[in-house]
Amino acid sequence: MLTRIAGGRVIDPANGVNDVIRDLYVRDGVIVDAPRDGERIDRTIDAAGMIVMAGAIDLHTHIGGGKVNIARALLPEFDRLDPMPAHGVCEPCTGGAAPSTLATGYRYAAMGYTACFEPAMLPVNARQAHMEMGDTPIVDKGAYALLGNDDFFLQLLASGAEQREIDDYVAWTLHATQAAGIKVVNAGGISAFKFNARSLDVDGEHPHYRVTPRQVLGALTRAIDGLGVPHPLHVHGSNLGVPGNADSTLATIDAAEGRRIHLTHLQFHSYGTEGDRKFSSAAQRIAEKVNASPNVSVDVGQILFGQTVTCSGDSMMQHRNARHARPAKWVVMDIECDAGCGVVPFRYRDRDFVNALQWAIGLELFLLVRDPWRVFLTTDHPNGGPFWSYPHLIKLLMDRSFRNEVLSRLHPEAATSSTLASLEREYSLYEIAIMTRAAPARILGLADRGHLGPGAAADIVVYEPHSDPEVQFTAPRYVFKDGTVVAERGEIKAVTAGSIHVVKPEFDRGIERKLDDWFRRHHTQSLASFKISDEEVCVCGRAPKLVTHACTHRG
Amino acid sequence: MPPSFATCPFCGLLCDDLVVTPGPAGLLAAGGACERARVEFSALGAASPSPRVRGRAAGLDEALDEAARLLGAARRPAIGGLDVDVGAMRAILPLAQRLGAVIDHSGSFAKYRNLHVVQESGLITTTFAEVRNRADVVVLVGDGWTKRFPRFVERMLVPAPVFAGDGGRRFVLLNPADRSALPADAECLELAVPMAELPVLAGTLAALAAGRPVSLDRAVTALGGSASDGLAERLARCVDWLREARYGVLVWSAADLEFPHAELAVQALARMLRVLNEKTRFAGLPLAGVDGDLTANAVQTWRAGLPLPASYANGTVDFDPHRHALPGRLARGECDLLLWVSNLGTKPVPVVDGVPTIVLGRADRTFDAAPDVYLPVATPGVDAPGHLLRGDKVITLFLKPVRSGSLPTAAAMIEALAARLEPATC
Repeated sequence: MLTRIAGGRVIDPANGVNDVIRDLYVRDGVIVDAPRDGERIDRTIDAAGMIVMAGAIDLHTHIGGGKVNIARALLPEFDRLDPMPAHGVCEPCTGGAAPSTLATGYRYAAMGYTACFEPAMLPVNARQAHMEMGDTPIVDKGAYALLGNDDFFLQLLASGAEQREIDDYVAWTLHATQAAGIKVVNAGGISAFKFNARSLDVDGEHPHYRVTPRQVLGALTRAIDGLGVPHPLHVHGSNLGVPGNADSTLATIDAAEGRRIHLTHLQFHSYGTEGDRKFSSAAQRIAEKVNASPNVSVDVGQILFGQTVTCSGDSMMQHRNARHARPAKWVVMDIECDAGCGVVPFRYRDRDFVNALQWAIGLELFLLVRDPWRVFLTTDHPNGGPFWSYPHLIKLLMDRSFRNEVLSRLHPEAATSSTLASLEREYSLYEIAIMTRAAPARILGLADRGHLGPGAAADIVVYEPHSDPEVQFTAPRYVFKDGTVVAERGEIKAVTAGSIHVVKPEFDRGIERKLDDWFRRHHTQSLASFKISDEEVCVCGRAPKLVTHACTHRG
Repeated sequence: MPPSFATCPFCGLLCDDLVVTPGPAGLLAAGGACERARVEFSALGAASPSPRVRGRAAGLDEALDEAARLLGAARRPAIGGLDVDVGAMRAILPLAQRLGAVIDHSGSFAKYRNLHVVQESGLITTTFAEVRNRADVVVLVGDGWTKRFPRFVERMLVPAPVFAGDGGRRFVLLNPADRSALPADAECLELAVPMAELPVLAGTLAALAAGRPVSLDRAVTALGGSASDGLAERLARCVDWLREARYGVLVWSAADLEFPHAELAVQALARMLRVLNEKTRFAGLPLAGVDGDLTANAVQTWRAGLPLPASYANGTVDFDPHRHALPGRLARGECDLLLWVSNLGTKPVPVVDGVPTIVLGRADRTFDAAPDVYLPVATPGVDAPGHLLRGDKVITLFLKPVRSGSLPTAAAMIEALAARLEPATC
């Protein structure tokens, strides 16, 4: 069947198209060239006057895996406040602080998002993460496997293993867990917490392995480049949430020694210690460094006011921050010589100085990092706020008077302690399309997503233009997923199953001999049980397709 | 060629080092198999069931038709059992919402003792490999860790804790405990306190660990001890061990805590863990995963956002551990049909007068009172592939079938049933 999306204002930064009126053609779920004369067009969608973009891609959203499910079980009181009864093709479920997988898929799709990446898949928990993502309807999924706190890696590093062996282990992990990238959380710190360390800065020594986070970051960034994994090492830095942690963040960038590195939820890592309250914005300092370092990309992890729950692999810092839990309950886990997790509910209040300044710091970062190809729109869902607040966040970026009006209602020192009020930048629609479509696809190596050229998957969003960007981005007129209309004006029309995105770099399988021995001596499952095959992940992930993206060695 | 190992689905440990082969009297489980595994595999191996309608052998179509008729006529159906794998749960939940059913796991009353505490105050927990490699002090509550998890000691507690330094591993046993299950040379401290006094004991230990002034004499009296039996000294010594631990682990199994308001005991243990972690590392290990309890809850929680027991009445989903608990629902006459799905275990199916019952059950199961319809289904890890969550909640393992059989999976059976129902009207 050939579908024409006719007469829309196409914004497609990956192909350099900015607000050009043209028709798009879709056949068998893929965008195709204009048909030859006389070829039959089966269906025409009138998009005249409307804005057409590729489906949006969230490159950092906690949508699946044990810690998210702990958060769901922990907070039924907020689920009850956000019921989603059966409606049309949608099954009943709940949203709340940690939404159900069904709610996650429905709400992302209704908002024009067509791919989501779970950023913290513990290798030992990978099956469950894929299952939860598999029960997240409509959107495509991928995940970053967590390394850098697992005892196998740390002992490898401590024993002075060759980089080649570390590369093989990283590649093996990508294969065995069916991942799209590698993330490190508080490098070495989660493991150090198991040895009763309560903090670990970039040059601090791990109490047992005597290696530093700088060494961990060095080895993993080298491995990612050496293997040619498209997505840079995804880094949750040291000292999350600690005043003065900007120094750790700058040291983290230096630890990459010019190799590619992605700093995630940068807002939580951009704090200074100036002022009477010993808490200040270091956004300017951090943004300058990012602007000057073309190897660095970031996502912000904007906070928005209201109830949420923070789900993190960073057991060390979550235990430290647990005293701020609202409501006062929290879960911390040490996990299987692999990693850890901490789930701490949080209520961000606009009249609270710290929260208000966190809000301002996030926006400062968005506005001060100049290149929209290197800064991504995230709230670190659900940690800084739910993903369904993105339209509001887009409005904050596109509309300076709205931004300053909100700022004027916050704790007054948020304005005086940050440069936000003076920042004049307003994002254009084109820049929003870059940061939510073209750039995430490029940095994840997704050749067939995030753009509208022939050969791309027909993940397409058609917006009715509105003077209020929040209204425009909340409920697009049409959302196509692989060519099927899945949502119209915020209502789900069809429930489809998304694909799984992975990378599979080449490596020397000889590493399995060492791993097999390690599993026998330390693990509580066999190496064979640990590995997830292509066939199995499609069952777990209920995926019609496993999409493997190319790795290109970058030396 | 190395043997192909099987993963045992019959307790929360999911041991993956079994060798299962066909024998004269059913399936023969060897390799790492415990007694329970041997019995279960053997029983399943010998069974060759057919569907039954009110006790009479029937063809599959006839049985499915009758089950669909009963489901179609029900106005307030309940779905119970749920000792099943992930695939079965994924099929059950859409059916539950379509029927507007109440849904509960057979073990959720015990599980709620932990869940209640998580929802009130939270927990600090750990997993098997951390216990194996790190734990230098292990506190064992009750006796479930040996009775219900037969290879827990062998697999997690016998191997030396490589990250614990040179001191090895010490044990504290909180009654009633079986000292003989532990290695004979293990350093061991026994606190003979009735299980029902566990809240008092945990509270006392937490207060002592926090350095609060506690009258040991009064604590001993409250715990049913006397001045002469040495309990006070053992309590003091226990607190020393807890504080000295580099990485302590507290093991309990909620199903063992069979006394009124047992959640208070879990609450006190959780508080003790929070206190200890101010200074050292100490984590809980709430052993579970028997009869698929973790699996059923996890799938329900991720798909709906709320755990079990739940109601899908009126096109919504609601969690309420009291109102929706299946035993109460049945006792109050609030259900007019029971669909019992259980492809792992053989727990008895509740029999309620006037409530038609459909059982999707294991091939070898027997009944005191024949249900209206019995549909035998494949057991994951025996006749069909499947997935289960392990007892420490983090690991999910793939269950490879040990034989090729003709029995349909529970998921396939539910889909066949759903296909026979009238189209949904909403």
